[in-house]
Amino acid sequence: MLIGTIIYALINSVILCLIAMGFNLTFGISGVANFAYGAFYILSAYTTWIMINSFHLPYFLSVIFSIIFTMALGALMYQVVLKRVRGQAISEVIATFAIGLSILELFRYFGFVGFEYNLPPFIDASVVIMGTYVDVQRIIIVIAGIILVLALWFFTHNTSLGLAFRGIAQDERTALTFGIDSDKIATLAVSIGAGFAAIAASVIIPLGTISPSDGYDILIKALAVCIIGGLGSTGGVIFASFLIGFAERFTDTFIGSHWTMIVSLAAILIVLIVKPSGLFGKQKELEERI
Amino acid sequence: MKFSKFFTVCMLHALLFFFIFTPGVWAKKPIVIGVPTSIGFLEGKECLKSVQLAVEEINEKGGVKVGNESRMLKVESLDIRDAAPGVPVPEALLGIEKLILEKKPTALVVGPFRSEALMAAMDIIAKYKVPLLGTIAMSPASEGKIKKNPEKYKYIFRLCLNAKYLVKYLAGTMGFINSQFGFNKVYIMNQDVAWARKTAEIVKKVYFDKAGWEVVGMESYPTGTSDFSSALMKVKAKGAQVILPIFDMPQSGILVKQWNAMKVPSLMAGFISPLAGPSAWKTFNKKIEGAINVNFEMGSAISSDKIPLSKTFVESYEKRWGKKLEAGHGPAPSYESVYLLAEAIERANSLDPDAIVEELEKTDRQGVMGRIKFDEGHQTVYDMDPDKAAVAAVVQWTDAGKRTIVFPPLIAEGKIKLPKGLAAVK
Repeated sequence: MLIGTIIYALINSVILCLIAMGFNLTFGISGVANFAYGAFYILSAYTTWIMINSFHLPYFLSVIFSIIFTMALGALMYQVVLKRVRGQAISEVIATFAIGLSILELFRYFGFVGFEYNLPPFIDASVVIMGTYVDVQRIIIVIAGIILVLALWFFTHNTSLGLAFRGIAQDERTALTFGIDSDKIATLAVSIGAGFAAIAASVIIPLGTISPSDGYDILIKALAVCIIGGLGSTGGVIFASFLIGFAERFTDTFIGSHWTMIVSLAAILIVLIVKPSGLFGKQKELEERI
Repeated sequence: MKFSKFFTVCMLHALLFFFIFTPGVWAKKPIVIGVPTSIGFLEGKECLKSVQLAVEEINEKGGVKVGNESRMLKVESLDIRDAAPGVPVPEALLGIEKLILEKKPTALVVGPFRSEALMAAMDIIAKYKVPLLGTIAMSPASEGKIKKNPEKYKYIFRLCLNAKYLVKYLAGTMGFINSQFGFNKVYIMNQDVAWARKTAEIVKKVYFDKAGWEVVGMESYPTGTSDFSSALMKVKAKGAQVILPIFDMPQSGILVKQWNAMKVPSLMAGFISPLAGPSAWKTFNKKIEGAINVNFEMGSAISSDKIPLSKTFVESYEKRWGKKLEAGHGPAPSYESVYLLAEAIERANSLDPDAIVEELEKTDRQGVMGRIKFDEGHQTVYDMDPDKAAVAAVVQWTDAGKRTIVFPPLIAEGKIKLPKGLAAVK
């Protein structure tokens, strides 16, 4: 059972990392805490569902379309709403939370509730890893998580746009003097963050069903990981995902399932008391965030 | 002068025309039925649609007779969101109070999802004296409150199955499984909410402990849990032959998928809301063969040839809304609640809440769920014979994607069959 718990803890950690990566990227670059993040996650899942069931598009194309569509909506949200309130943290939170709330509640209002709203797994099979059955979809999640982290590292270290991202993240004013358009970069950061949410949804949702209330859970999970890891720190997000992921599964197996949520909340509380900027948070320091 | 005279005559004619031909001007105000519930959830959505269906049927037949007048019924709904995780009970209460004060309903139907919310709402309902025919919340604690103070809480009735009767059905099913296959090791997994916790506790205490079963594990899961791997590994490690799940959250579908993916060699038999409706076969990629699920009330996403009204209701719902019923809890009692209320108003010949309550207490109706009668706790009596009481239906998914009623025996269409890979131990 120990091996099985470790395997599922690894998977759980990657799921948490995938969920939090986009939120962290947006905050790290643009400084915007996108509280519509959970709603983008659910929106992309419903978009895929609609593409498959109403427009009869192939699954793969539907996923691609929903990722692009969610990214476009993210960019639109920045250009139409966030640009006007950027720098005013409370206004940004209220605006993005209101947008997220509207998206989720609109789905609820228009009756998008029920178990028929689900996405099929990419490959519907199970494999045995060290005596533990694991479904292939969970392995796909792990692969997607690794690819996404590596792609993000490559993008931010080897492309001019990625370097511009880092420039803005390090010091926006200095970056401006180098001719980097901070609004353009922030738009892209929000958009790519939304795209990450869509990618996470397309691989994670096939494990269960699509439900508007999951949007709130996703936001809370992303926030928990980012607060523990340190807002804006990619390394912190990865570390915090593994910390929470392992703590949850081990608590579930060896203490009791009803304690799992308390573990995450207690971790947030302890980190906030001991190190308010998070384990790897560098908000008070003049160092790069990604 | 001539013009003003002409204008006055025209205006008078227009007014006369308006009064004669505008429907509703002469008609009595409709009887308002309030539906405060979690409309954003599948059960809430289908309960509301079932109420609307019943209201349309009654209105089509001329409405409800009160004195010499026929009054139409009108539905006013409000989403109180109590089923959503993290929504505090006071918020749900505010919604109920708002509906009562603003829409002035003669009665409320469906009501809160969470028993915690129902228990707290009982005082508001008693304060405003608006009868409530609840069809979702299941904790028997509300009946205890009614029995303790019947004068104050007499306005609250329940048409759906309560946790106590659910236990009876679960115990009956487990008894069948035990006698047919010799299984006697069970792992109980329940949602961490009042009704599910209570059901798990009672079924352990009154059945498993007494019938010689070994309860190898018992776990409560917070609403929203999305990984059940640890429990399923424990199920395997401890050799449980039966998993008894008790969940009504959408995420419980993940449990079914994991049970399948992890190839857990145990029979899944209990209540998981996503397994109740006909679309489950597609939702779970045709991999739910052998799973046993309790549909809490006959008519809620299941019908039986032996209860023709259940078939009529399920078919009427599909015809009216263009979709099949999927919720195994709520729709049938919600539909029935409107008929019960209409009949009680007609018998009382009044909209006075006390008179309506008095008539509701006398209810004896053969309906979609079987025979509906209330006990002294205002709970609909459920048993095994649809001619004597209301019934639930225990359903098993076959390998052909069909659902077979396996319990209670009087309406059973077949016997419980073990899925491939599972063998009897006797």
